[in-house]
Amino acid sequence: MKKVYRRLPAIVFVGFIAVMLVLLIVMPKKDFSVNEKRNLQQAPAFSFASFFSKEKTFENQFENFISDQTPGRDFWVGFNSSFCKILGNTAPKGVYYGKDGYLINDPTETKQLSRNIGFMEEFAVDVKDKLNVPVTVAIAPSTGYVCADKLPDFHYTYLDDDLFPTFADTFKTARFVDLRDCLKTAYAGGKQVFYRTDHHWTEDGAYAAYSELGKTLGYTPNPETAYEKTSYPGFYGTTYSTSGFWGVAPDDIEVWDNKANDGAVSTTITDGDKVIEQDDMFFYSHLDENDKYPVYLDGNHPYTVIKNTKADSDKKLLVIKDSFAHSLTPFLADHYSEIIMVDLRYYANPCSELIQNENIDEVLILYSLDNLATDDHVGRIG
Amino acid sequence: MVFSSLLFLFVYLPIVLAAYYICPRKWRNLLLFVVNLVFYGWGEPIYVILMVISTIVDYTCGYFIDKNREKNPKKAKGFLIASMVINLSMLGFFKYSGMILKTINLIPGVDIPLPQLPDLPIGISFYTFQTMSYSIDVYRREAPVQKNVITFGTYVSLFPQLIAGPIVRYKDVAYQLDHRRETLDDFTKGVCIFCVGLAKKVLIANQMGAMWDAMQNTGQDNGWLGSWIGIIAYSFQIYFDFSGYSDMACGLGNMLGFEFLKNFNYPYISKSITEFWRRWHISLGTWFREYVYIPLGGNRKGFARQIVNLLVVWFLTGLWHGASYNFILWGLYFGLLLVIEKLVLKKWLEKCPAAIQHIYALFFIVIGWVIFYFSDDVGGMSAMGAFLGSMFNFGGVVIGNNALTLLMSYLPFLILACVASTPLGVKLYEKVKAHASAPFLQTVYCAVVLFLSTSFLVSGSYNPFIYFRF
Repeated sequence: MKKVYRRLPAIVFVGFIAVMLVLLIVMPKKDFSVNEKRNLQQAPAFSFASFFSKEKTFENQFENFISDQTPGRDFWVGFNSSFCKILGNTAPKGVYYGKDGYLINDPTETKQLSRNIGFMEEFAVDVKDKLNVPVTVAIAPSTGYVCADKLPDFHYTYLDDDLFPTFADTFKTARFVDLRDCLKTAYAGGKQVFYRTDHHWTEDGAYAAYSELGKTLGYTPNPETAYEKTSYPGFYGTTYSTSGFWGVAPDDIEVWDNKANDGAVSTTITDGDKVIEQDDMFFYSHLDENDKYPVYLDGNHPYTVIKNTKADSDKKLLVIKDSFAHSLTPFLADHYSEIIMVDLRYYANPCSELIQNENIDEVLILYSLDNLATDDHVGRIG
Repeated sequence: MVFSSLLFLFVYLPIVLAAYYICPRKWRNLLLFVVNLVFYGWGEPIYVILMVISTIVDYTCGYFIDKNREKNPKKAKGFLIASMVINLSMLGFFKYSGMILKTINLIPGVDIPLPQLPDLPIGISFYTFQTMSYSIDVYRREAPVQKNVITFGTYVSLFPQLIAGPIVRYKDVAYQLDHRRETLDDFTKGVCIFCVGLAKKVLIANQMGAMWDAMQNTGQDNGWLGSWIGIIAYSFQIYFDFSGYSDMACGLGNMLGFEFLKNFNYPYISKSITEFWRRWHISLGTWFREYVYIPLGGNRKGFARQIVNLLVVWFLTGLWHGASYNFILWGLYFGLLLVIEKLVLKKWLEKCPAAIQHIYALFFIVIGWVIFYFSDDVGGMSAMGAFLGSMFNFGGVVIGNNALTLLMSYLPFLILACVASTPLGVKLYEKVKAHASAPFLQTVYCAVVLFLSTSFLVSGSYNPFIYFRF
């Protein structure tokens, strides 16, 4: 007995690695990770070609297979994030564990920023000169900047107050709408303008931006009372998934529906060969998922058209955007008979042609700062 | 394949251990040879050929050196030279041809197009040095010839120390290759040493590496204190990464019945640079002393010659670490410091209080890591100069907000690294070693390390092996 006791470390070690191996073999393989929002690697088929290929296809796939299918994967990841958090690392995976359950992306790198801003101004000059269509640019500030009081005590510096004035300087032809103040004011007024578990703005945030944009785009924003608000619980968004933290309360997600438009609005999404048509801007089936943000306009697609026969103008608006526009555009639909929304990450045709062919009256470029700072598709805008 | 990966821990290792202990003793070397090649070929299957060639060449050279040593010493010497030329050519071709061509191109008027060079075969710096030690030791009659090509192949390709050392000299394992006896006590010891290494690598080195990488991308002025904290994090990363790997190698060796020599002996508690190099990467220092410094005459041919010999050895030591000029500079930097210590500083230092000696040694070690880090891939000399400038810009920012955030985020790991750099833990352990509860403490330690390491590895937080490129 004493001998066995002396060898306990070896027994535990061998036991652990052996059990992990056995579990790895016998446990049913998962296809999809809800937390990571991606398909998990399955056992790759061995072939000499893939084993000896330059990309080491088999080896890489096999290693991904092992890490994706490690028994208790979600447990290990969650444990790790929470362990690091306890030791004082507030952002072990680039997401701050803030106060009141806020999970906030750390400040973005700024490497693509000045280039992207340059592309936009160039485009605005071009469109103004050749087609005489005005271009408006609106950029949403970072969550960490607006909700600074929710950040942990030690955190990186958010650069919004340094960056936004340089945007204002660069945009001479494009009309620049600075969304910092309207969001900060709404936030100070007690509104939750960003989600706690997602990087997007909430309906309150989008509404504040929509109200601010009216001053430049020339519409009179609807009062909040125009909308029927419905709240849906259980929303776990991107910052939740990225962070891996345990014990995070989900968000509620709201849909603000202007009932006056019932029957008048239609949405047509063109994505490759697929065309989705619906008499509504909200895609309620996504509310069954953890990530409920695609309830607005069905999430990311290259080309979306929204028509409203009851709009207060017969103008046509082109929105060039990232996903922040999905919750904002439904508000705009009250003021334009047709909105075309393109996402440069998936839409590669020149926007100037689109403006000409579709007789666009007004262009809105809407991005979030974080996305704009890292996106390398903005150069396609031309 | 690297030890600190899920693939190694939960697939390769349990299968290899099971196969090894099921296998009859006489087939164990063959089994090891095969699994070594799987280990090596994973990720770079084509270079298995290189390993097999290396095995055959040095086996053949060793065989003929042994055969001709008595009757025809010239022929024996010829085979020794052949072995060295082939090994060094292999190393030179794969590791240094790019650097050599770029250097030649610096000559005005010369413009040789750089060919598409193959990736550096993993561990080539380590196993070419090992096989050379074999040929030299056989020639010097310090090691017996190995008649069995499989056994010799097992030595050349032995997976525990294949890719990051220690550089095991043939004579140190010659007997073990044929006559080792695996025992449960050694196995248990191996498990404990392996877990120490795993903790060093995953729980300290990777965290310090994450901190150092982040420190360089904060996008703002880190301040002089921030720069110091960053390079100190890197100093910890490189030590725990490398010594963790050596520990894992020794532990795995124990599990398989081998006993390798210690490669690190708490280098950061040194009181001088001379002492540091007796405690840092011991197997490499031994190799250069035995196969370069002493054959050059060491200190036996007069003072001037000794200085030249030292500088040659340190030039080569630097160059061995990588095909970039900063490594040569790094080697010569230490060579020069060692000469200065030998000449003047030593007597003076010994009179100073211990604290001063530690500060002196650590200061120059850390500055050494600045030189070491900034290879051509990461900005070279100009980046090095800029970084050194930031470290001594005492009039500027003390510490930037982002650097402070990083410091606070990694503080527990930084403190752990400081403590683990000293023999404090081992001393405490020595005290309870005899106590009945010692195995229980070891078990808890191993379990905690395995648990935490698994969580870090699955979490994929961070896992690059710095010593891969050498």
